[in-house]
Amino acid sequence: MKRLARRDIMKIYCDVLSAVKSETNNGEIVLTRVQQRTNVPFDRLKTYMSELVALGLIQSECSPQLTEKGERYLAEYEKVLDFMKRMGLAYREKI
Amino acid sequence: MSLTENSACENKISHKAQFKNMSNVALILAELVSAALSFTLVRFMVKPYLYTGEGRYIGLPFGFTFLGASYLFMGLTFLMDSHPFVEEMKWLQLFTEAYAFAFLAVTYYFSQKEFQRSTRLWWQFIFSGLIVGMIATYFVIFEPYSPMFTLPNYDVADRYISVFDIILASYVFVYTLRSHTLNPDPKTLWAPLGYLLLAFGEYSHLIWSLDSSFSALLGAYIIRLAGLLVFLLVSYGVFNASQARKAEEGLK
Repeated sequence: MKRLARRDIMKIYCDVLSAVKSETNNGEIVLTRVQQRTNVPFDRLKTYMSELVALGLIQSECSPQLTEKGERYLAEYEKVLDFMKRMGLAYREKI
Repeated sequence: MSLTENSACENKISHKAQFKNMSNVALILAELVSAALSFTLVRFMVKPYLYTGEGRYIGLPFGFTFLGASYLFMGLTFLMDSHPFVEEMKWLQLFTEAYAFAFLAVTYYFSQKEFQRSTRLWWQFIFSGLIVGMIATYFVIFEPYSPMFTLPNYDVADRYISVFDIILASYVFVYTLRSHTLNPDPKTLWAPLGYLLLAFGEYSHLIWSLDSSFSALLGAYIIRLAGLLVFLLVSYGVFNASQARKAEEGLK
């Protein structure tokens, strides 16, 4: 069985944000689908959601949508991952 | 010696002095440009640490900051030729550059590891060792008359440290090339090239310190600047190209 690499909190936040974003693009946001995409237990997902709301990255816990700040953060994070790949730095690629 | 011969000799000396001044200005410029490029790179290199929150990536901005500082110190030694602190400045440059490459190599070494508790402890041990070593080295430099420590001949130390820098830069080159071959992508080929150029720049500097050839000195500066420019292009390619794309999309 393949073992998932441990994720730090930043990586989890970004996984949640990108899951929320892609769910938003699909239309309706279903939290269970966000949970499946991010691979975290539901209770922990709720905690992360409230933390993301407090940080101003998503609008509300119940029907989450990315704020402008959240969009910017996610875009910048993806750029940083691309930069790390180009610089030859390994980051969470081993699964 | 006749009057005409005398004036010709004076002319020759003044031409030599002029050439020395001109080459000094060129060297100062090259060092300052290298320092400016390195400090600009720090702005981008700090992002992996800021966005992932993982301490092991802090070596990247540390490395480029020290690299920039070492070029700045070298520029200052050319600028303040007869300053009483010029010898200390030269030593400072030598060690700062060595620590810069050490920080870069440590960052790449730990980047490939699963960052579990034991690896984290090793990273903390080596990183704090580097910091303590650096502070101790600077004490030795500014306290050269201490009976405990005596600095060796500068030229000899310069050669040994250049070899040390070449080894570390080559390690990072091999590491980045390995990651490129594992996941081949034309975009990931630039970082190994940048590190290879930095290693070659150091090698050219070593050749210059051995035979004092002008071409080796010129080569060292050109290759080093090319290496730093490669990193700058990689950074701008990621962070500024997407902004330009967004601006274009906005116009549409």
